[in-house]
Amino acid sequence: MIEYLIDGPLWYFSLAVFCIGVLWQLARIVFARSKTDLSVARGSATGGAWRNVFSRFVPHHEIAPQIRIQVVAGYLFHLGLFALLFFAAPHVLFLEENLLGFGWTPMPHWAFIVSAQFAFLGLIMLWLRRVVNPVSRLISTLDDHVAAILTFVVMLTGCFALLEGSTALRLLHRFTVEIWLIYFPFSALMHTFTFVPSRAFTGAWFGRRGIDA
Amino acid sequence: MSERLERGLETLRGEIDGKVKSFFSSCVHCGICAEACLFYTETNDPRYTPIYKTEPLRKLWQKEYSFWGKLSSALGISKPMTEADLADWEELVYDGCSMCGRCSMVCPVGVDISMIIFKVKHGLAKAGFSPEGLVGATQRAVDIGSPMGITMKAVEATIKHVEANTGLKVPLDVEGADYLALLSSNEIALYPEYIESITRIFDHAGVSWTLSSEAYEATNSGLQIGNKTIAGQLVQRVVDGAEKLKVKNVISPECGHAYTALRWEGPNFIGKAYPFRVVHILELLDELRAEGRLETTGMEHERLTFHDPCSIVRRGGVEAQPRNLLQPLAENFVEMTDHGAMNWCCGGGGGVSSNERAEELKLTAFNKKKSQIDALNVDAVVTACSNCRMVMEEGVEVNEMEVELLGLTEIIAGHLVDKRSQ
Amino acid sequence: MAYLLQKYFFSYLTRPASIILLSLSLLLPQLSNAAVPQKHEDFPQGVSAVNPGSELWREVRQRDLPVTGVSQVKGVETGVLINPRGDQWARFRIENPVKYAPMVLGAVFLVLLLFFVMRGKVGIEGGMSGRMVKRFTDYERIVHWTLAIVFLFLAITGLILLLGRPLLIPLFGKEFFSLLASASKEGHNLFGPIFLVSLLMMLFSFMKRNIYEKGDLTWLLKGGGFIGDGHVSGGFFNMGEKTWYWMVILIGLAISISGLILVSPNFGQGRVVMEISHVVHVFGAIILTAVSIGHMYMGSIGSEGSLEGMKSGYVDINWVEAHHDRWAKECNENEQVVSAEEYARLQGRQPDKAMEKGA
Repeated sequence: MIEYLIDGPLWYFSLAVFCIGVLWQLARIVFARSKTDLSVARGSATGGAWRNVFSRFVPHHEIAPQIRIQVVAGYLFHLGLFALLFFAAPHVLFLEENLLGFGWTPMPHWAFIVSAQFAFLGLIMLWLRRVVNPVSRLISTLDDHVAAILTFVVMLTGCFALLEGSTALRLLHRFTVEIWLIYFPFSALMHTFTFVPSRAFTGAWFGRRGIDA
Repeated sequence: MSERLERGLETLRGEIDGKVKSFFSSCVHCGICAEACLFYTETNDPRYTPIYKTEPLRKLWQKEYSFWGKLSSALGISKPMTEADLADWEELVYDGCSMCGRCSMVCPVGVDISMIIFKVKHGLAKAGFSPEGLVGATQRAVDIGSPMGITMKAVEATIKHVEANTGLKVPLDVEGADYLALLSSNEIALYPEYIESITRIFDHAGVSWTLSSEAYEATNSGLQIGNKTIAGQLVQRVVDGAEKLKVKNVISPECGHAYTALRWEGPNFIGKAYPFRVVHILELLDELRAEGRLETTGMEHERLTFHDPCSIVRRGGVEAQPRNLLQPLAENFVEMTDHGAMNWCCGGGGGVSSNERAEELKLTAFNKKKSQIDALNVDAVVTACSNCRMVMEEGVEVNEMEVELLGLTEIIAGHLVDKRSQ
Repeated sequence: MAYLLQKYFFSYLTRPASIILLSLSLLLPQLSNAAVPQKHEDFPQGVSAVNPGSELWREVRQRDLPVTGVSQVKGVETGVLINPRGDQWARFRIENPVKYAPMVLGAVFLVLLLFFVMRGKVGIEGGMSGRMVKRFTDYERIVHWTLAIVFLFLAITGLILLLGRPLLIPLFGKEFFSLLASASKEGHNLFGPIFLVSLLMMLFSFMKRNIYEKGDLTWLLKGGGFIGDGHVSGGFFNMGEKTWYWMVILIGLAISISGLILVSPNFGQGRVVMEISHVVHVFGAIILTAVSIGHMYMGSIGSEGSLEGMKSGYVDINWVEAHHDRWAKECNENEQVVSAEEYARLQGRQPDKAMEKGA
């Protein structure tokens, strides 16, 4: 019964909430009424927007030494998670069979494990930093903690099911994924998508002024 | 709900646009912005974290736009916003933020925090939660024409001095001139050498220019306090004066926020584009230099550096021009480690220097600039903003530093080739 | 782990060697007749004849060391048909780590309980002052807690794997335990290398202050203050902390290296190497887990003011004077002590609005 629910209706429901939720949140941003800037631009807003979306992946060297923990742990986590989400063999197979109808060459098993280790270490260190540093402790909301811990739980249940020999463990992982998908559009996890318009807006603003942000 | 709270919240509501929604959805509360803010780095007080200063608007956005906020409201378990939500942020936003925008440069998800803080200021200003000093300055700006209460009479007196010193005529209310030069009260009161300098330079370069008796003030207290209505009023004064004299260009003087107010925000405050071009004095001087109309002789021999005024460089875009102008005249020019668009603020911008309550905090924040200057071991710091100059002079004095503060326009004027005697 | 060993074991057994096993099994019934004299009408007293099968069996089985022959299967120890020590190993494992682990850990809990009941929380003479000193940076605290979390996870999954059969199967039943064991094995194997990385981070960030210095031996001889008048001098880290640090590093490294050997059997490790690694791994882990319980106790309820150091990074100056007087001297000389108001401000709390939380 549970297997039927998790592999069936709950899966479709969570996928629907995720897709509609994300698109809805993005639409609210992208199609929001905006006032035209009546000042005369010095540089290109579009150029600035595009450039900023990519340039912010590398912190300004003036500040890089002060934010080493966030940058290192942040990339460990995000790159590790991206790799294991889209290039781990069980996930590639899952996406092919359940969503896309096509797949691609997954990474070797050892790379999957190493990506997961990077992701775990990065996430643990990032969450600990959030808790340990007075600035992030002050500005963090409940949402930030839930997002981090929920993501960790999804990854952990995935790790538990690595042997791919137990239906119960696989279902546990899938179930936590579905909860995560439902939570996603209403949480800080939306930054996954909204960082693009945000960087673009700011890049455009600075780009009009001729400044490389 | 009190009237002032209602006014404040209504104003804040009007400030929630697509950008605000995007920014608040993206912020993951990482705290990187704190490391970019001199009010945080020099005090280590987490409350000066830039994104924390936006709390009043974030709370409103969360309540009225986010899923959980709307659900809580529907279930009746949402905490209403109180006056304290605005009042408690007055000190953080007005004393602890100079609108320098350095935070906006470093946010990894691209939030323009400085822009949001300005929106918060709008809400606080309309609700009446603004520092006394700024309220007074704004009142004077609206009633008298200058936040420091400088009347046209004072301007005329200064003009007389300039004419006596230079032997040149300072054009006033000349219709059809190419350039309308604006001034900042600071310059009139503390650095009238600026007016003398532009008189000499424009004569040397053959620039057709004028001052206006109806629009002489470039500074915008409305911008500093965050009151967009008043800011628009003050910009309109300049536009009216410029239109009356039918000038093609308006020059923003050596003042940081004036440039922001006039060049970038002004058309949006008044709701229409200008019929004239706005240039910062440095932009004009650089154009003249590029056209070969500025002939200079000699060099500054002191070891000196340039302090980038935030509103002119980072938030204004005038980054290359000061260096194009200064470096050819400086034998021993060195850059601060963090310079250009990533410079550190002097600590007094955005209205902080007009806010007596913020005096101690401003001096603490100056420690960042002090460390930059000390590291270079320079004889002089050149800048192109009279407010930065004033703030740094005070900081230098309090810290007993042996550093001179110089204005860039003055330096250029001091090296002009005397065409008349040739 | 067990799965990998099993897989390895089966792979050499189910191949051509099975033919040999089959033939042996046919000979087995003859074994019982091996040396029993057979009665025959011509030889009423019986003739003793040696069964050739039994010779083979004796050669193979009744020796101290495994006999290595030749097999078509090429690999590590594939020439070993029967390992007479396998039984020994299984017994050793049940009688030692499996038996002693719960005893040792249980004993530690008991000792600490008794200690707490008798001695209570180690307080500070004169109480806390409210004036604080920064002891650990953000990075140091992050490294510590990362190591702690990863270690606890490994300890728990490790204990599940160690005590599963005798303790947990009777408790949870075989089906549930199989889930638990599978999950624990995967988790344990994945987090092992993370532990090593965290350990290295800890090694580098805390090493300098854990070097032995003058006064440490005295601290040790005075039992950290329990022997004598209760006053003992200490530097930034006292000898107790240094001992624990080096235990964590050295035993932790031993556990990590043996763990890496165990988790990747494709580098030519034979049984002996695996067995030794297993012993090092398990015993090291039990020791570290046992002492870590004491560490957790002392760092929290056992000693007033200690936990704060690892939470906010700040400790009360009175706590420093009591436990690390040599470092206290430095703090006072370098004016590193901040007032209670300043401390509250640094933590983002406005002293007079302590009740209000901004976010």
